Amino acid sequence: MSYLREFYFIHQYAVRDIKRSFKSLWIIFITLFISLFLLSSIFTIKTSLNYEIEINSKELLGGDLEISSGINPLSEEIIKKISESGQLSQTVKFHTMVSREDKGSIFTDIRAIDKFYPLYGSIQTNPKESSQTLFLGSSNPGILINENIQNQFELEVGDNVTILNKKFTVQGIILSVPNLDGAMIFGEFAIISKNEFEKFNLTSAGSFLDYDYRLKMNDNENTQSQIQKIKSFINNDKTIKIRTPKDGSQNLRRAINNFSHFLSLVSVSAMLIAGIGISNTFLSFINKKSLSIAIQKSLGFFSRTIKLIYFYEILLILFITSILSYLLGLLSPIIANIFIPASFNIDLQFTLSFLDYFNLLFIGLLVVLIFSIPTLYSINLIKATSLFRNVFQQINLFFSFSNILLIIILSVLLIVYFIFQTDEKIYTFFYFISFFASILVFFITSFFLIFIFRNFFNYPSNSFKIAKRNIAAKKSLAPIITISLGIGLTLLLTLSFVANNLKREIAESIPNIAPDIFFVSVNKDDKERLALFITTLDQNAIVEFQPVISASFVSLNSIPIDTIIQPNNNSAWVIEGDRRISWYNNPQTTANPITKGEWWTKNDSDKLFISIDSKIASDFRIKINDQITLNILGREIVGTVKNFRKVDYRDLSINFAIIINDSFADELPYEYIGTLSSNLSINEIQSKILKQFPNISIIKIGNILSKVTILLNKILIAIISISLVVVGIGLIVIISAILVQTNLRTYQNLIYKILGINFSTLVKAVCLEFLFIYLSILFFAIVIAALGSYYIVENIFRLEWIFDLDLTLTLTMVTGIITFILILITNKNTFDPPIYPLIRNE
Amino acid sequence: MKNPAIEFSNVSLNYNQSDNLVEVLKNISFSIKADEIVSIVGPSGSGKTSIIMLTAGLEKISDGTIGIHNRVINHLNENELASIRRQHIGIVFQSFYLIPGLSALENVLLALEANHKYGLEDQAKNLLEEFGLSHRLHHLPGELSGGEQQRVAIARALINKPSIILADEPTGNIDEMNSENVIKLLFDYSKKNKTSLVLVTHNHEIANQCDRIIELKGGRIVLS
Repeated sequence: MSYLREFYFIHQYAVRDIKRSFKSLWIIFITLFISLFLLSSIFTIKTSLNYEIEINSKELLGGDLEISSGINPLSEEIIKKISESGQLSQTVKFHTMVSREDKGSIFTDIRAIDKFYPLYGSIQTNPKESSQTLFLGSSNPGILINENIQNQFELEVGDNVTILNKKFTVQGIILSVPNLDGAMIFGEFAIISKNEFEKFNLTSAGSFLDYDYRLKMNDNENTQSQIQKIKSFINNDKTIKIRTPKDGSQNLRRAINNFSHFLSLVSVSAMLIAGIGISNTFLSFINKKSLSIAIQKSLGFFSRTIKLIYFYEILLILFITSILSYLLGLLSPIIANIFIPASFNIDLQFTLSFLDYFNLLFIGLLVVLIFSIPTLYSINLIKATSLFRNVFQQINLFFSFSNILLIIILSVLLIVYFIFQTDEKIYTFFYFISFFASILVFFITSFFLIFIFRNFFNYPSNSFKIAKRNIAAKKSLAPIITISLGIGLTLLLTLSFVANNLKREIAESIPNIAPDIFFVSVNKDDKERLALFITTLDQNAIVEFQPVISASFVSLNSIPIDTIIQPNNNSAWVIEGDRRISWYNNPQTTANPITKGEWWTKNDSDKLFISIDSKIASDFRIKINDQITLNILGREIVGTVKNFRKVDYRDLSINFAIIINDSFADELPYEYIGTLSSNLSINEIQSKILKQFPNISIIKIGNILSKVTILLNKILIAIISISLVVVGIGLIVIISAILVQTNLRTYQNLIYKILGINFSTLVKAVCLEFLFIYLSILFFAIVIAALGSYYIVENIFRLEWIFDLDLTLTLTMVTGIITFILILITNKNTFDPPIYPLIRNE
Repeated sequence: MKNPAIEFSNVSLNYNQSDNLVEVLKNISFSIKADEIVSIVGPSGSGKTSIIMLTAGLEKISDGTIGIHNRVINHLNENELASIRRQHIGIVFQSFYLIPGLSALENVLLALEANHKYGLEDQAKNLLEEFGLSHRLHHLPGELSGGEQQRVAIARALINKPSIILADEPTGNIDEMNSENVIKLLFDYSKKNKTSLVLVTHNHEIANQCDRIIELKGGRIVLS
């Protein structure tokens, strides 16, 4: 009961104190609110996205079950058996050139659908219901195209396009399709009816043929048992893959989780910087309360009770700001909907989640505790005896062994809490280590700066002397500015360097070394004629052809590969579906350099030898002489790994993850892929080639790069915007530190004024003070940002890192100028204070 | 003396200041009865305030023993000393030291709350009314005159009905008329409740009104 009464007293006192001291505490409210709001928005959008995927998982997959049989359709017998369980819909995906007269051709992802498609959801088109017209039957079959094709060919409904010499009439523009497709959103995508597809009689692997079947189970069927039954029909055929709605959304979910986790890390960084502001403001608040605290001690309050009162105040502020920021954050999915393209077919909903709120509150609590403990313990330093001496000394942050240990435990808890929420545990760990190491670096820098100014540097100028005195003073602003601005600037520079290098690679370096055209599939018989024809168009053109055949990765040392490699493996893409593999006559001279093992000799023609990308080998833990089983044209063949190669996919030229020995491959039916680089007009060359060879599919590399650049720009804008918020919080922290010192600065400047120092000297002193502090930050911020971005660009993205001086100067100057202007504005009342309040002892 | 309220036995208080030993109190002994009003006089630096701080348990002695109602307090920890202060001692300062953000009534209630006594607003109000402050209950210290502030401070010191009142120059910051009122309040309370009152003062007129004068000089008692 007495604990309850004590708690009630603490609560009452704390609430009253917050109301009456709000002017001293508003900075804590603001910085906590902004950083919690950022985190809350990220959590809420992530939860909404995952919820949207969860409730629409069948729509995303296109059915209760998806069966992919690859290049060959399922047998009629299997189709009949599956159809017993519900409604079956068949689609065929393939790639080919779509042409418009005088407008050229585009390599397009085409989906041929039957009348049952889609089993879940609907195709949104303009005009509405135009997907129904595909099955009406007319002299010119219909086609639905996406906006990318419409824009490139300037098409309207009723215009004609040609696919493999057959005319199709545009019936409508696709706005969205139920099962999310990357080509629909980012590339060229079209829909025709399956009946028209069958007339093409396509069997070429170069068209990336893929037969898909989707099943909508009968209502009375037990889903799980039916899935097991269907799996039993096709168990032995390794080329057939089955996916459930849960599998269908896995990649998307993983991408969302990783991206939101990265944004969470950045916003937690913002919160940690806000923590510095909280610590500083809280300390100033306790200093203002030192008289009250001394009186309370003289009255007999325990130190523990007093600490609890102020701790409770901080908790109340945290609780209120967390609720406000969470509630406001709930609106973020609705705002995010404005920025999500309609083609994503995603409509985020308002999603209340107590788990998200408690997650937010817990993280906020850890940060607040870490940064308020030294101030709370400083209450021990306030003595009641001060009342008798009438001397109140400014107290500073109090660090003892026990509270340092507590801070370390809480920091570790925060880091571990984040690490366990993500798949990328190592990266998260290193992020936090880098973050805290950076804080330490800037902390030491500030002390070094103060030491240098205290013991060296004398210059016969009043402005310089005042600036020096301010920097070297006991309550100098140097540590706060150095740490908060230093961290914000470092984060901004790091992300900008990464973004800049990515953009440079994609916009400049890659186009310089990448070919202009990629031939997706060239018939064996057409290859020589094509090469000759290109030479007639441009004698200086660089042409390269490589034989290819489709194969899929079945097992490693007789263990099915999909049981060994998890979907989150960095090289999992290799085992998804068919891959194109190739061979060289003299691999030693023409293929990528080997990192381990040896090339084979020509004599061993019966056996299959395999050379594999060294990164894939490392991710899959493959060793030399391991046995890999490949499915090549329906036949499973076991091959021996002979070497690992270092493959650089960056230049978009012809590269293969898997190469086999040519003596084994010679007997296989293969086709060619090729590249072309020319200084002549690529559109013209493409059009002439397609006229001569209408069955060839071509991709213009420039198109792909520009699409990737556009997408990358959007992502990078989002990332850099978040880092700007971190800088913004750093600026608020600096302003709060300056406001705390206003009285001291005013008093000081008043004395200077009385002594005859003029206004311009004081302003110059502020300029110099900021300049010295900022220069000390710049060097370390640039070095840390360079090191961090180098690691990310070279090791994670595996691109070349280059330092951009222009970008560095622009960012640092803009940040410096904005910070300086804010400091001047905040300090403006201290430059020319009136004299009489001092004389009257006010 | 039987059952003294305060007893100092061979008490010394020293400080180390910049490698020099400062002897504030040198082996002093005295005792004060339960209903005695004692003034402590002496020049600045003679150790008057130190006696108040030691009695209140806010400072630790270097040698000797201090007893409060026959309980030796030398070796008590901070919490135990705080407990004694809450229950037995009321302190009045020269500079009032009211909490700036709390009203007159709230300042007085704070002392009760420190003693884990809650919901006793009426008791606090009655005491403030007794001190002529019924119209100032909800005013902040900044809105009160010096005399009013000191009366609030005295009410805060007396609300827990302490057996010992320590007043350190209670009239130092107020005018003559208010000084008389303040002294009268303290003396009346002490006599009515048989409370020990220890008064540090430079004012000889006030000192002469007390039952006994303890004069300090150079850390020693020269008159008791």
